[in-house]
Amino acid sequence: MAKIGRAIVKVPKKVKKGQVVTIRMVIIHPMETGLRKDKKTGKPIPAHYITHVDFYFNDKLFTKINTSAGVSKNPYFAIKFKPTESGTLKIFYEDNKGGKWEKTVQITVEG
Amino acid sequence: MTTRRDFLKIVGVSVLGLTFLGVGVLPTTSSAAKISLEDALKKHLGVGLSAIKESKDIIVKAPSIAESGANVPVEVRSTIPIEKVEALYIFVDKNPNPFIASIDFSPLNGEVYFATRIKMGATSPVRAILKLKDGSLLMAYKEVKVTVGGCG
Repeated sequence: MAKIGRAIVKVPKKVKKGQVVTIRMVIIHPMETGLRKDKKTGKPIPAHYITHVDFYFNDKLFTKINTSAGVSKNPYFAIKFKPTESGTLKIFYEDNKGGKWEKTVQITVEG
Repeated sequence: MTTRRDFLKIVGVSVLGLTFLGVGVLPTTSSAAKISLEDALKKHLGVGLSAIKESKDIIVKAPSIAESGANVPVEVRSTIPIEKVEALYIFVDKNPNPFIASIDFSPLNGEVYFATRIKMGATSPVRAILKLKDGSLLMAYKEVKVTVGGCG
């Protein structure tokens, strides 16, 4: 199984000034609701899900996604982004069991 | 000796008693495991469904029929300028926990847009509610038929 918390982020690295681009990401995560039972033992599987995903640009928080276990396994998120200057996009995300991860992407604004 | 009249009385009383028991017990047992849409809305937005206006400025894109409730793509966009919007909320009426996600926007988003994939336990409306900076709430929804649930 792929490692929990790994993520793939897709965003154009070069953006024209004034252009709105899409940030797409997929996080490897089981997103357990806590309502499912293990088919072999009959015991409930504990809840394990991403609680929030925060998007920073040059250390300024610009989008916060608060999530519940109602988001599918290996969650996919897409948002729009309109950078006005070059900088660092940092995506920070956390789960209910204390897992913390982050991804950074350098973005250049041209023209 | 039990007469016919007494017998009918006993049966009548016990039937009545059972009916009351049924009314009293069933809703509490089912709501223990499940949160109602109304409660979820009140928790996250502070108001119930009747206080939220429907709007044509919000578009919810989702399949009419989902083959698997474990993975239903949902896309929300709006023509309302991002500067006026505070947050977007997504709810599924019939899920054990109707709250799916909330997204706090800022002008750096450029426009109101969010896409994800969600779990659905049964056929239900998928609701997108926009909270504007002036405090007003606007809603749009799409009914999604689910043949195999994805919450169990």
